[in-house]
Amino acid sequence: MKFKILTLFIVCLIATNATAQIDRSTMPKPGPAPKINLGEPDQFSLSNGLEVLVVENNKLPRVSVRLMIDNKPYTADKPGTASLVSSLLGTGTKNISKDEFNEEIDFLGASVGFGSESAYASSLSKFFPRVMELMAEGALNPVFSQEEFESEKAKLIEGLKSNEKNVEAIGSRVSSALAYGKNHPYGQFTTPESVESITLADVKNMYRNYFSPKNAYMVVVGDISKKEVKKLVKEHFKNWKEETPPSESLPAVRDAQYTQINFVDMPNAVQSQIIVQNTVDLKMSDADYFPVIVANQILGGSFGSYLNMNLREDKGYTYGARSSIGSSRYAARFRASAGVRNAVTDSSVVEFVKEIKRIRTEDVDKDKLEDVKKKFAGSFVMQLENPSTVANYALNIKTKKLPEDFYETFLEKINAVTVADIKRVANKYLKVDNLRIIVTGKGSEVVENLEKVTVDGKRVPVLYYDKKANKIDKPEFTKPIPEGVDAASVYQNYIKAIGGKDKAENVNTVYLKGDATVPGATFQYQEKRTKSGKSSVELKMGGNTVQKMIFDGEKGYQVAQGQRMDYTEEQNMANKKIAGAVRELNVADGVELVAIESIDGQDAYAVKINETTKEFYSVETGLKIQTATTVEQMGQTATTTIDYSDYKEVKGIKFPFKLTQKVGPMEIEINIEEVKVNEGVSDKDFE
Amino acid sequence: MKRTFNLLLLFCMSIPVFAQQVEFTEYDLDNGLHVILHQDNTVPVATVGVMYHVGSKDETEGRTGFAHFFEHLLFEGTKNIERGEWFNIVAANGGSNNANTSQDRTFYYETFPSNAIEIGLWMESERMLHPIINQIGVDTQNEVVKEEKRSRIDNAPYGKVAYATGINKHLFKKHPYKNSVIGTMDDLNAAQLDEFIAFFEKFYGPNNATLVVAGNFEKNEMKKMVQDYFGSIKSKPEVKRVNIKEDPIKETIVKTEYDSNIQIPLKVHVYRIPGMSHRDSYVMSMISSILTDGKSSRLYKRMVDDEKVALQVLAFPRPMEDYGTYVMGALPMGDTPLDKLAEIMDDEVEKLRTELISEREFQKLQNKFENRFVSSNSSIQGIASSLATYNVLYGDTDLINEEIEIYRSITREEIQEVAQKYLQENKRLDLDYLPESDKEQK
Repeated sequence: MKFKILTLFIVCLIATNATAQIDRSTMPKPGPAPKINLGEPDQFSLSNGLEVLVVENNKLPRVSVRLMIDNKPYTADKPGTASLVSSLLGTGTKNISKDEFNEEIDFLGASVGFGSESAYASSLSKFFPRVMELMAEGALNPVFSQEEFESEKAKLIEGLKSNEKNVEAIGSRVSSALAYGKNHPYGQFTTPESVESITLADVKNMYRNYFSPKNAYMVVVGDISKKEVKKLVKEHFKNWKEETPPSESLPAVRDAQYTQINFVDMPNAVQSQIIVQNTVDLKMSDADYFPVIVANQILGGSFGSYLNMNLREDKGYTYGARSSIGSSRYAARFRASAGVRNAVTDSSVVEFVKEIKRIRTEDVDKDKLEDVKKKFAGSFVMQLENPSTVANYALNIKTKKLPEDFYETFLEKINAVTVADIKRVANKYLKVDNLRIIVTGKGSEVVENLEKVTVDGKRVPVLYYDKKANKIDKPEFTKPIPEGVDAASVYQNYIKAIGGKDKAENVNTVYLKGDATVPGATFQYQEKRTKSGKSSVELKMGGNTVQKMIFDGEKGYQVAQGQRMDYTEEQNMANKKIAGAVRELNVADGVELVAIESIDGQDAYAVKINETTKEFYSVETGLKIQTATTVEQMGQTATTTIDYSDYKEVKGIKFPFKLTQKVGPMEIEINIEEVKVNEGVSDKDFE
Repeated sequence: MKRTFNLLLLFCMSIPVFAQQVEFTEYDLDNGLHVILHQDNTVPVATVGVMYHVGSKDETEGRTGFAHFFEHLLFEGTKNIERGEWFNIVAANGGSNNANTSQDRTFYYETFPSNAIEIGLWMESERMLHPIINQIGVDTQNEVVKEEKRSRIDNAPYGKVAYATGINKHLFKKHPYKNSVIGTMDDLNAAQLDEFIAFFEKFYGPNNATLVVAGNFEKNEMKKMVQDYFGSIKSKPEVKRVNIKEDPIKETIVKTEYDSNIQIPLKVHVYRIPGMSHRDSYVMSMISSILTDGKSSRLYKRMVDDEKVALQVLAFPRPMEDYGTYVMGALPMGDTPLDKLAEIMDDEVEKLRTELISEREFQKLQNKFENRFVSSNSSIQGIASSLATYNVLYGDTDLINEEIEIYRSITREEIQEVAQKYLQENKRLDLDYLPESDKEQK
């Protein structure tokens, strides 16, 4: 007996010790999965067709309501009309002015919003009855005044401007238009011109035709009982008249005939937006739905997916690469995308195609598949934290014609997906021979290499589109040089622009002084140049020299952090070419005009000084606006640019007072404070 | 008679909601790790989060972006978690995870179905105990962070305002808040492996961190698990906090910034305000609400709705630990000059400075902040993040329940005083944020 107790005691001891000394080397095992209770929302409907779902949840004293009208999508005659319906709802009703309406909603700390076929409201539960009433009033009794119409129209047009230089927004718009066609509701987009043509009557018509209870659903979630909801809904929505919305057949969607790159030029882009896509015919009610969402998870649905692990974690091309495969009763697409830096745009396209092929041809690792299934199980559980999930599920079953037990058997169906299923659906839905690869980026930097992209040894054709998804001829990323223009005439123009040949020839020495600022530090900058070709540039901090470059007309050296380094023969030659007080007075050997390029949206003559250096002169003003130097380091090329701006006159000659040097993402700003011509420079300065 | 009725109504409305108290337990381990546990068995999930009291303001000169870069590095693996496996482990157990870095702190978290929560403790303790910091990680993440900067700032419309890279450098001269969280690549390129290891040794001790576990678990079991996973991690020397005072701004700072991704310019006024835990910072939140929260707010109604000079207006405080900034701005409608926008913004500020807000506006504020308070604790992950933030940056975890009392105690007079104190023309940054294409025309 005694013995037994002792053993028990020892066992206990060991047990405590064991837990205190946990084994870190392997991952702890998860416990049994938490029990989940899907539950069902309360439901009722009104005789006008409105169906209402209620999920009572008293955890927080608040309630939200969402009204959505599940009409079939339609192609708008004048895109933008739906936006105007949405922004005009809530701007005055038959019973309450806009100002009173807005004031009361804000006063109650509530939020109320309207779409062209939807409405939304939320508030503390104590204010909810009034907030629901206000939402109903705004949605069902709008006045649509001419004055508000004009005002919202003007705002919509102005707002459209705000995305015109947004690379991501333009890429997304063009990709939809090309996937579905510009006459398809999912492909059409709003332009200032389409908005201009909209009248108040168009807005009223659209509202009358489509804002109908026939296909309407309302979801109420929160601290409220079904009984209260029923009372409120009846009171405010029973007089909503049923109209049958027009139903048109949708235009057919077509994939590209062959895999191609569709390029959209955005000269301001520092990253290319890549979207790889094809359309898919897939509904949530299809048996393929489950293997497809699992396949997408493996390809690009998460951080650990094929695409992200390759493009981000292995190559460092992007902050993130993802994919999605849509499902819809009408039209959907597969879409994989990433924002990548200009220099690796072509390589990224190749990697995208490679991963799409991989999931079509390679068996997915069994463990990987099991992990992905577990992710679905976990997400399913975690989504139930949000009380509106149950309502959304019920709504999907109704609107998407899903079997009643769709969500109860959801995880079973996910679990049934096999390695072979993944390969099968990847082959069916990822159309590797009919991909559209939409690249939105800076043409002058990325197109040359994009045109060399091959898949299976075959060149992928590049087709060009404008920002409105119209097919265009290949744009001139470098414009042709007009006849009679050469390096000499560009230089002459420059001399004229800065003050004329006479004045320029009288410049014997130049002395520049100013501040050079990098984030976190400011240096003193000093530069001296002579007509005879000598130059010195010095950076100081607190009176101490940080860096110095001296060139005496024949040879030079650099001192950085106290270390002197003589120039190589090559460097001496290069410096000789760019020497002189106003060196554009002569055209040195080998200097030639090579192109007209766009520099920050401005046309500029590109003058090549040598293999690594180009200088740019504005076509419009004649002034020099940039020097670009390309160096190769460890197999990668990096370009350093200096922008010249803020030209001001000193003794009749114009000098740039602001120099901005960019090395990769780093910027050095040099602000010149003082320029002296023919004074402050002696030969000693160049020893 | 009618008057009394109105008063009664107001009285009814200001009865506080005795909503959800967020119950929690907090204590320190022997190694100095602060632990906060919030048990809620009505949800099927749990979150593990660790907030380290280190952010971009702790970086040494010439190493901007270091703290955020380091956050990326701490996903590269640990002694027991192989490189590339971090995200897979979380996903394979049905969880989600992420991290973020601000000027003041770095926060890592995992949310799991509640049965897998121990995995979160294991992972975070691995990260605190022995992460692998090596050259492969540094090289890869260097490229990734560059792309993050391009995506978020350089290629994004109004990126320099959204991420304050075009604002804070003008507003701060001495305090490290002048640097951006994302930093400069030049600084990051310059950083050596041993500096990253030193950064870990300096800032990533348990005594400079707060662990939060929130969600479905049993508290006593959790306490034991926390002790098992974190108890043996050695504490590190105490971290010296940044203590740099800015000189007061005496003259308006006038600046222009350019953005190649926009066509519509933006007029911005930015004021420097005290740190986030200062009472005046709360008052500034209320001032923001008066100016731009909702369609009946003063700036929105006047500039967008009535006078139609602005396409959009904005006003918000950016709270930080030592100082905050208060950003107010507008996008012009059509050809409205930026000066006109500035004039109206100033006119509305002047009203706040010279007149008390009305009783009704005051009640509106109470309702709005009550609604905000109720909604703020609606997810377990959100609660975990708030608990950590209140503890690490405000030094008072109880604020999760009591912050609303601060707002309730703010008077109309105080709102006027604070407007007078901080919203002064000569103490601000006056920024024209212009499309790049405007540059060439100058």
